[in-house]
Amino acid sequence: MVIRWIVALVAFLIMVFVGIAGFGNFETGIDPDNFFDAEGANSFALIGAIALVVAFVAYAATEYAQTRAFTSISSQFDTRTIVLMPIAIAINIILGATVANALKIPVYLDSIGTILVGALAGPIPGALTGLLSNLLWTYVLPPPFQNGPAAAFAIVAAVIGLLAGFVGRMGWLRPRPNRPIGQLGVGAVLSVGVIGAMAWLAYLGWTSPAFSGEVNFNVEGSDAIFTVLGWLVMLLVAGTIVGLLAVLFIRRDLTAAYVVVAGLGTGIIAALISAPISANVFSGVTGGGTDFLVAALRQAGADIGAATLGQGLISDPIDKITTFFVVYLILSAMARRTKARFPQGERLIDADQPSTDEEGEWRGASA
Amino acid sequence: MTLTLHGVGYRYAGADQPSLLDIDLELRDGEVVGVAGASEAGKTTLCLVASGLAPRTVGGRIRGTILLDGENVDAWPMHRLSGRIGMGFQNPSTQLSQVAGTVFEEVAFGPMNFGLPHDDVVARTWQALHALCIDDLAERDPQRLSGGQQQLVAMAGLLALRPAHLVLDEPTAQLDPAGTRLVADAIAVLAADGASIIVAEQKTDLLAEVAIRVVVLDGGRVAMAGPAGEVLADPRLTQLGVSPPSAIRLRRAAEAAGIDPERLRG
Amino acid sequence: MAGRERLTNPPLMNRGVPEIVGRPGPTAYHRLNPLTKATLATITAVAAVVLGGLVGPVVLVLVAVIGPAIVAGVLLRLIRTALLLSLPIAISAFLVNLFFFPDGVTVLLRIGPITATAEGLAFALEILARIVAISGAVTLFYLTTPPADLVVDLERRGVSPRIGFVANASVQTVPAMVERAVQITAAQRARGLDTEGSLWRRVRGIVPIVGPVILGSIAEVEERTMALEARGFARPGRRTLLWSPPDTVFQSALRWGLLVALLALIVARMTGVWA
Repeated sequence: MVIRWIVALVAFLIMVFVGIAGFGNFETGIDPDNFFDAEGANSFALIGAIALVVAFVAYAATEYAQTRAFTSISSQFDTRTIVLMPIAIAINIILGATVANALKIPVYLDSIGTILVGALAGPIPGALTGLLSNLLWTYVLPPPFQNGPAAAFAIVAAVIGLLAGFVGRMGWLRPRPNRPIGQLGVGAVLSVGVIGAMAWLAYLGWTSPAFSGEVNFNVEGSDAIFTVLGWLVMLLVAGTIVGLLAVLFIRRDLTAAYVVVAGLGTGIIAALISAPISANVFSGVTGGGTDFLVAALRQAGADIGAATLGQGLISDPIDKITTFFVVYLILSAMARRTKARFPQGERLIDADQPSTDEEGEWRGASA
Repeated sequence: MTLTLHGVGYRYAGADQPSLLDIDLELRDGEVVGVAGASEAGKTTLCLVASGLAPRTVGGRIRGTILLDGENVDAWPMHRLSGRIGMGFQNPSTQLSQVAGTVFEEVAFGPMNFGLPHDDVVARTWQALHALCIDDLAERDPQRLSGGQQQLVAMAGLLALRPAHLVLDEPTAQLDPAGTRLVADAIAVLAADGASIIVAEQKTDLLAEVAIRVVVLDGGRVAMAGPAGEVLADPRLTQLGVSPPSAIRLRRAAEAAGIDPERLRG
Repeated sequence: MAGRERLTNPPLMNRGVPEIVGRPGPTAYHRLNPLTKATLATITAVAAVVLGGLVGPVVLVLVAVIGPAIVAGVLLRLIRTALLLSLPIAISAFLVNLFFFPDGVTVLLRIGPITATAEGLAFALEILARIVAISGAVTLFYLTTPPADLVVDLERRGVSPRIGFVANASVQTVPAMVERAVQITAAQRARGLDTEGSLWRRVRGIVPIVGPVILGSIAEVEERTMALEARGFARPGRRTLLWSPPDTVFQSALRWGLLVALLALIVARMTGVWA
């Protein structure tokens, strides 16, 4: 067992090395004849994601060599999960296509299904749901649903599913109702603190030349847009905090705080991985409402890498916090019995209610 | 192949009370047993237990013994049991696999899963379609069929596995009258051909048509059991929340109105 | 045995799989193995990105998109569909790069505070070429390959039937879910739901539709799971396929050749051999 994880870790490190060494040979900055360049720091996350895939393959190969089977992976894939995945993929695609094509708002809303599967079934099914959603979205679905760029971001979706699986596994999405004000207060302070810290870091990053190598805002030439952008960001952050506090204290459910932190973390990681893809493959433009944000940032003087990262750091956390909330709502609406049969279902159920299964002559399924 | 349930009880996961208690049921080759009862009396649960889906797929806890030709099937995994006992459900559209573009592929789904040789799969599929007289639907898109037709396709999909027994849970419950007629006729044909079927129904007319024996459930227990004619004519039926077959109701209405029921026959 | 009389009627044994299942395509391009067509599409898309510039993607479009499209007889549909697919991105990309290109020097046009530059125009055209190549390649694949064909081919090569199931079922679920949403919308409208009006109203109106669609679909999971398991779905091991698309040695060599060429191109780019 331990051997598998070691092999996976070694493979991961090797891939990271290769990635950095390979990408490091590039010139940064935009050269009209050569779009295949990559900013240094921005690409670390992408390299990391690719390395994860390689590590997974190494893990699976080792397990196969040891046991001629993939039990630790396939146990997350029972029939119920397999049945849920197409539904989740459909939800991803339909909502995502609606937002991308019809509503030009700077969020994506194409991960609700991925995070739902991750929470209910585990990291690998979640990752696979994300991957397949994006691949099918580009290659297989007819217009008006088809979305050309989606396949390139398949790896981002896979990582989102992976993270959601771990979030579910850690029991973060377990309802925690009727907590005393004290706990709710602590939760509120902690999550507001986390949000505040992230916002502060982002602000620092934008104004510091050390951030990702080449950020350089030409503040003199474009004060107005930058100011507007700044206000927009503050509004979004404030809105998130207000929404969080409302849910925390009106529904008195402490899990709201966990949801926000999970969304924030997933959003930031997603932004880090998708920025270099967006910058290098599509030059920051993917047809959705996020393009305007990118444009505004570039007008403010940022280069393409920083602009896509900046846009991602605004859109992704909002998008993922919203998505985690929606998933939490969906989970609350599902019956206990429905959730319990999923591989990770037990971790999504309120632990306070005792299980009424006594033994004796009553036996469960043996097969 | 005889299917025997002996002293069977079942409780859903997380439930306080068992949904089935002390069920004794025997289904022999060529028999059709009807299961009647009010809603929530345990008909669906009995079907799930008889087919093995409970507790294997559905969870929960079971007690008692289930025997297939004298052999205890407790340790059989679901896919092995599905080759011997086929289960049909109420909702026609959720039984479709959603991966078949044609009815033929839909019906072939089961045999394909079992890894049978290619020619076997094809032969069984045609035979199943023919048994229910839906050969002409073979090239149609299953999603576009009527409810009754979809229910027949689902049944053909079960027949293609050549199960020893069929368990049908209220097959006409979600169908319009035309669909109900279609499915009822198909079940009658199967019964006439010597199929072994457990069919749970609120519509006792169907049971009157095909069942040899009828079991009436109440609160998860067997309240009445016996030959179909006797049980369905028993006056206690209404107390148990079951509406008797229309022929019986008509007879009783005639008697109540003072008309000699014999004279109603045309 | 259920229905035993009818199930053993000999004359039926002579029928094969209906023609409509796995019917070969109308043109030679259609009849190529799905994996070949998929490889072509993917490699074209990636190569368009790797090559950069204007000439590269244009040549790719002519050779790998337009050419096969003519052979397959889908040129007009391709143009129409690819345009539909790429238009929103194309417009955005063009405008964004034309006007917001940071290193632009040669001014072409000035509208208020924003300026269009020649460098921006050049960049925008190259992005456009890339987008056209990618959407053309993907659309060509979509127009000439039923998704089920690719799934069956992959399953024949050893991909787990469960993954194939997920892919196939997803393709069928999307339109089914949309249809259900349409029905629920009509039902909600009949109950007085307001779907016109301001953006806020419309967003609010989405919830009573999306909620039942999502929850309704999830509620079906239990039934579908039972129905599948009742037909042996959970059985370990491979399953029988009714048919599979034919493949040839030539196509296999072609696929590998294209992959090697792409890798060589990437390496050449990365090490600076090819400017």
